[in-house]
Amino acid sequence: MLDINKVKQRIESLKKLPAIGSKSVKEVLEENGFSRRDFLKWSGALAVSLGLPATFAPVVADAAEVSNRLPVVWLHLAECTGCSESLIRTDAPTIDDLIFNYISLEYHDTIMAAAGWQAEENFEEALKKFKGRYVLCVEGGVPTKDGGDFLTIGPDAETGLSKLKRTAKDAAAIIAVGTCSSFGGIQAAYPNPTGAKGIHKVLNKQVINVPGCPPSAKNIVGTIVYVILFGQLPAVDNFNRPKFAYGMRIHDLCERRGHFDAGEFVEEFGSEEAMNGFCLYKKGCKGPYTFNNCSRERFNQHTSWPVQAGHGCIGCSEPDFWDSMAPYEEPLANHKFESISADATADKVGITILTLAGVAVAAHAAISAIKPPKE
Amino acid sequence: MKITKKIITKIEGEATLKLYKKDSLIEFAEIEFWQYRGMEEYLKNRNYMDACVINPRICGICGHSHLIATSKAIENALNIKITKKAKILREITLGLEIIQNHIKWFYITLYPSVKEINYFKALEFSREIAKIIALIAGQFPHNSYAVPGGVTCDLTNLEIIKVKNFLSKMFDKYQEIIDINGKSEDLEILFEDIPKETGKGINKFLVLGDNLYFKSNGNAEFIKEEDSISLNKNVLYKGSFYEVGPLARNLENYLIKKVYEKYQDSIYTRIFARLYEVNLIFQYLLKRIDEIDINEKNYIKPTKKSGKGVGIVEAPRGSLIHQIEIEDEKIKSYNIIVPTQFNLSNGTKESPSPAQASLIGEYEKQSDLIFKCFDICAVCVSH
Repeated sequence: MLDINKVKQRIESLKKLPAIGSKSVKEVLEENGFSRRDFLKWSGALAVSLGLPATFAPVVADAAEVSNRLPVVWLHLAECTGCSESLIRTDAPTIDDLIFNYISLEYHDTIMAAAGWQAEENFEEALKKFKGRYVLCVEGGVPTKDGGDFLTIGPDAETGLSKLKRTAKDAAAIIAVGTCSSFGGIQAAYPNPTGAKGIHKVLNKQVINVPGCPPSAKNIVGTIVYVILFGQLPAVDNFNRPKFAYGMRIHDLCERRGHFDAGEFVEEFGSEEAMNGFCLYKKGCKGPYTFNNCSRERFNQHTSWPVQAGHGCIGCSEPDFWDSMAPYEEPLANHKFESISADATADKVGITILTLAGVAVAAHAAISAIKPPKE
Repeated sequence: MKITKKIITKIEGEATLKLYKKDSLIEFAEIEFWQYRGMEEYLKNRNYMDACVINPRICGICGHSHLIATSKAIENALNIKITKKAKILREITLGLEIIQNHIKWFYITLYPSVKEINYFKALEFSREIAKIIALIAGQFPHNSYAVPGGVTCDLTNLEIIKVKNFLSKMFDKYQEIIDINGKSEDLEILFEDIPKETGKGINKFLVLGDNLYFKSNGNAEFIKEEDSISLNKNVLYKGSFYEVGPLARNLENYLIKKVYEKYQDSIYTRIFARLYEVNLIFQYLLKRIDEIDINEKNYIKPTKKSGKGVGIVEAPRGSLIHQIEIEDEKIKSYNIIVPTQFNLSNGTKESPSPAQASLIGEYEKQSDLIFKCFDICAVCVSH
């Protein structure tokens, strides 16, 4: 059980730590036109999405206010910056990005204030100054082939691998943001020319995975606030994903679910069925196998999500989905093991199908092609 | 001669700039990218439809351009014609990607290298723009709503009205950044202490895409890639370097032309063209959206199974080229050429690339700004 008093104690002890930057979180919010009321509303919403009881809302607000005591260092490895792009467009209340920008300013390649040599100096400085206190967020997979030479960063051409290990050593918590840092991502897809891996494969510390391509900003910020709030990592599933965000399947709360239950499917883009908003399972939707909250939270401030726009879920928050979920426009049940990547991924597919077991039992006749496992 | 090695961060990715100086002026520059991901390798032997999901992940900044280029390449290879409605919807989402990119680039990437600025307004702007894209495409960044043959979404009249309303609202709001007459307070403040003639390039321009209102002035057949000094590749057109991007494709606009005639292809002209282009795209989209016939088909199913094709779009940073070869629905080969490769190739002192030329003869303190003017996408380069 969560003990609210323990959390309060923790926040009190954080308050005693020196703040980073010259302005308090409160001042930054005020400068940008957010009232105290907006802030409390945001805290309430965040408490709900973290799966906390309503009594936690004011504590979440307190935690956000002391978030500038725990600096965040953000590393970019082999990636596309899409996660940062998602983050700065926060689909959650807009305060997220203010807070996030504020706490992350210590070091973030794309949005930090410093640049070039100065940025590199800030980075080294932050590692020393906040030793054991900083939260490390990593975006991108880590190339490991040839000693990691496919990615070098900074003035001394340090490999991504070495920089990651060094930074992780004294981090209070490590969060893998996005599928690339969680599971290797597209870089790690067959034939994986750079030997890219998820960061947990090269670190001997616990890593919390916030996968998605990109993950929603709400999940990123939620995880960080949770760490600040409790000083520990949130409850996770077997792939180390926080349960508050990855506890349910896309399929469970999908707006097209009714059509799935009724056996009404889209078989062709642009067809009558597509215009009627039928289920996209037969067009390759991987919602039944994918654990994430997209169907509940959507993207871009709750505007829409891929399934709403008529394209199936591609399973982007699942390990190795680039290989195991392909082809993306065909149901997994039709998976032909004839492609060149089949040998390399057959064992991975096995693992994915294992996790499907629960789905298959609950699913209806329509997906009978996936046989329920023998208990 | 003194050599300075500069690390350029805060672009989309990271690049290394080696500056060779004489009497505090830059004599020559070399540009290096030390990341490689091997995107083209992943595509081989997969079903061609997979490219529509994989390719946006080349870049989180301009992934939508990669998606449209992919669909276009496949359509070209399989001989598919899409409806006008699908074409307009794609133009809207791609146009909006360009718009939000330019605003972010100006306030988050470029501005802080000269002056301090509160960039939250840029974030807010790009967040709102992304919402319009999401209305059509499902989410931003990274969506796969544009498939070979059309689009997957089926917009209602109400949604089209919503999109239009959003567009005109954001267009109005953009006037605060640079108005339709080309007046921009923030731009003038940026150039308070910098000569507007700084950073002239090679004065050779290339436009290969013909999406939105842009007109192509070349043929992609004459493009050649060659190995460079680092992990990226040089790109040449008919054997020489060319500048691509907003300045290249907007030289016909009279306001941009006027600035160009005054300052040639300097950083000021480049920034002005980029900022002002947003106004032109807004105007174009507001006109185009009225031409949508909601009764038209969203999607036409391909019938051919093999072929060779090329897809070219004018992306935020310039001409983006995707080349594909499909055999029995599987990808046999794939090649991607990104705009940053054109602008940031490594040439010689006698025949420099656009970025090298604009650095030569300038002071080192300006090199950051000059370099960033090309809106470098190292993420795309390391595809």
